[in-house]
Amino acid sequence: MSSVDEDKELVERTIKGEKEAFEMIIRKYQQPLLNYIGRMVGERELALDFTQEVFIRTYSSLHFYKPQYKFGTWLFKIASNFIIDYWRKKKIDAFSLDQQQANNLPPLQVSDEEPSIVKKFETSELRERIERALEKIPAPLREVFVWRHVNEFSYEEIAEIKGLPVGTIKNRVFQAKELIRKLLEDKK
Amino acid sequence: MKCLSIEQIYLYIEKEFSAAQNKKIEQHLATCLKCKKALEDRRLLLQAAESLPLWQTPPDFTQQVMARIFPAKVSLSAWLTAASAGFVSIILAIFIFFLVTGQNISGLLASLNQALWYFVRNISPISVKLLKLASLFVKLLQQFSEYLIKGFTLLTTIISPEVQIIVITITIILVASSVYGIRKKLLVGEKA
Repeated sequence: MSSVDEDKELVERTIKGEKEAFEMIIRKYQQPLLNYIGRMVGERELALDFTQEVFIRTYSSLHFYKPQYKFGTWLFKIASNFIIDYWRKKKIDAFSLDQQQANNLPPLQVSDEEPSIVKKFETSELRERIERALEKIPAPLREVFVWRHVNEFSYEEIAEIKGLPVGTIKNRVFQAKELIRKLLEDKK
Repeated sequence: MKCLSIEQIYLYIEKEFSAAQNKKIEQHLATCLKCKKALEDRRLLLQAAESLPLWQTPPDFTQQVMARIFPAKVSLSAWLTAASAGFVSIILAIFIFFLVTGQNISGLLASLNQALWYFVRNISPISVKLLKLASLFVKLLQQFSEYLIKGFTLLTTIISPEVQIIVITITIILVASSVYGIRKKLLVGEKA
């Protein structure tokens, strides 16, 4: 049985009242969700609380789940909306790609004298610098980067989560990567 | 083929192109040092990004979520069992106490009975006085409400509805402001 079919079966069993089925869903998705939420909010305890809340919200909305969609993408859509709600309540305008960001687009072509930025660092230092750079890039770019390269979703899956065209998602992930690459040289 | 765009470089690394497109790109990369260098830099970036340390959930995370979704309900039988257990424990403790100290159980019952009687005898005059005071208060309250209703009836027959509204509004404002004033005074007193 594929992972997608397995998820659908677990959802059906949960709706029928089998608690163990939802327990299996939590076990399967807790780490991917925490890795996404954690990198979006930056604090471990807050991320753990939010991950719990997302599971609770998911459980109470299971009747609205449509089996034609992948359960995983549906779950991450709930998580994404949860984070947007949180920032909205805190009046943090983290989810709008403003004009300044639009003007700060990375170059499309490789320049003639482009330096090798990444090669300069050891792998462990590079990872640390990527984590720091991730905190600095705009939330909509960070979100798609984490889904693509940490959660390892396909571009099509990310497009399904966000309800945006695949081309837009590819472009956002590309922007995120080039912004991170540019920020690697920052000292702090 | 002309030089690759940076987005194409990423998509090539992520194997997003068809076999035919890949072949064309590889042919170009074999001859273009600039694109090859740019590709190597991005490949290292992606390799590091895909091996970022994972955040771990605590071992009891699943149980914590399950406990929040399905809070444990204590059944009536469990309550009854707990109450019976408590009662039996008290009886057992009393029994053990008498067994250990060697005291006479009937003597204790007699002294308990005597203590209860003293309590009732001392408390009864006070409770009678309290009852009298309560009935007096109820009578006063009854009379006051009768006067209030009479006054209100008189008011509605003598004064026009517009004036009635004004009088009632003024009364409410006066009562509210005096309550507010008393509260504020009390608060000031607390702070002092």
